[in-house]
Amino acid sequence: MQSLANITPLKPAARAGSIQINGVGQVFRTTGADVVALADVSMDIKPGRFVVLVGPSGCGKSTLLMMLAGLRQPTSGSILINGAPIGEPDPNRVGVVFQEASLFPWLTAEENVEFPLALRGVPKAERRGKAEEMLKLVGLEGFGKRHPHELSGGMKQRVSIARGLVQDPPVLLMDEPFAALDEQTRMTMGDELLRIWAATGKTVVFVTHSLTEAVYLADEVAVMSARPGRIVDHLQVQLARPRTYEMLSGDAFGTLRERIWRHIRKSA
Amino acid sequence: MKASTLRWLIVIGLIVLWEALPRFGLIPELFLPALSSTLIAGWNEASEYKDALGVTLYEVGISMAFACGGGILLGAIVGSLPRPRVLIMPMVSSLYAVPLVILYPVFTVWLGIGSESKIAFAAIYGFLPTMLSTAAGIQTIDPQLLLAARSMGATLSQRLVRVILPAAIPTVLSGLRVGGALVIVGVVVSEMLISSAGIGYLISRYRTILDSPHVFAGVLLVLAMAIAFNAFIRLLERKAAIWQTGTRGGQTATEEIAPGALQPAT
Repeated sequence: MQSLANITPLKPAARAGSIQINGVGQVFRTTGADVVALADVSMDIKPGRFVVLVGPSGCGKSTLLMMLAGLRQPTSGSILINGAPIGEPDPNRVGVVFQEASLFPWLTAEENVEFPLALRGVPKAERRGKAEEMLKLVGLEGFGKRHPHELSGGMKQRVSIARGLVQDPPVLLMDEPFAALDEQTRMTMGDELLRIWAATGKTVVFVTHSLTEAVYLADEVAVMSARPGRIVDHLQVQLARPRTYEMLSGDAFGTLRERIWRHIRKSA
Repeated sequence: MKASTLRWLIVIGLIVLWEALPRFGLIPELFLPALSSTLIAGWNEASEYKDALGVTLYEVGISMAFACGGGILLGAIVGSLPRPRVLIMPMVSSLYAVPLVILYPVFTVWLGIGSESKIAFAAIYGFLPTMLSTAAGIQTIDPQLLLAARSMGATLSQRLVRVILPAAIPTVLSGLRVGGALVIVGVVVSEMLISSAGIGYLISRYRTILDSPHVFAGVLLVLAMAIAFNAFIRLLERKAAIWQTGTRGGQTATEEIAPGALQPAT
């Protein structure tokens, strides 16, 4: 098998937007004892999938996401994105949307979206055009000149999504992006995200606390256990797309939700 | 009535009182000379005041450059590096509580009674708050912003120029406001104590000969200087930090958006 793997070109696995997580562990060194945050997590994510990570607080799901973003190095194991290891943040492969508005308050919405391009010295006119295109994609056309404090919570997260997508990375990572929003806004933003995802075909890895949100959004849900974090269940969500509000009260939805809840209750 | 109108009315009222009370003999001229006699006294000695103002402005300018430049530089270092912070911060904080004016006589021994001793004293006086608030401003930057910048591939120098500096500007400016005001205080006070030139010196000299109108003419000049400085900082604040008034701006924005119904407010 080993020799076969050497001959076979690795092309299929290296397709844009694929993620391979191979036996990844993360140990935090603290004074006293080492804390194992993640233990031997493996996952294979196909391009274009919408994958949600759920688990109790402190299960290391955000840590895993930080490692996928190249913001933190795994203590053991490896992570491949587009078939290549991710050693440091690479905005051409991975865009990140953070929990609360991590927009720069001194920049306007469009300047925030342009920020990753400005870092790379992209000319102003090209940047502006790209930012307008992205703001239009997230439904914020005409709001480019506003500063973050002039936008509502949901609008801020739309800008964050636009910023995460501006370099057209095949993978979009989202760390509890809607956690700070009220429930109604959250539902709307979920639908909006699914619309943007369908329009762009990105691979999305989405971390959340909300089981409803998890099942509603996902193609597949990875359920993690409390520290040390590991994946205890991996569900395929077979619900039709587009997802509708009516599905929330359906039997299929309830069964999936219950199955996730049982895992989380066990480890909490 | 609007607060600003009321404020102007209070100022005008005080000016009228300043003129009226001494004029009608309710307050002796020695304690408070009428505004008009103060202005006339200043006008009659205009060249003397002009020279004194020149000296004072020169001293303020140089001390301000040292206090602000040094304060921001050292504050940035102390704010971003934990090791110097542990060493320096406790010393600076306790120094800040010391009435530094006790050092001024020492400075006159070291540097003479000319401008140098004033500049040294005022620069140190204004340096401390500038440095402390710059350090605080950099320390309190939201780590989420730095993480976001890093996720977008920002290098260390890009993070410094594009994130840390702009994020620190509001706190640095509020430090400059205090530090700059202290520089003016430092120069004028040191001129009043031991010196041979400057507005503080004039005030002090005219006081010894009980010439109140001339004393108050000097006071007016110092007042004007402080107000001009404050207006300048305010201008900077307005230019550099539109985003500072976060909550207020956010509220007006939602009020604007709601009736227009341009987008669902999400």
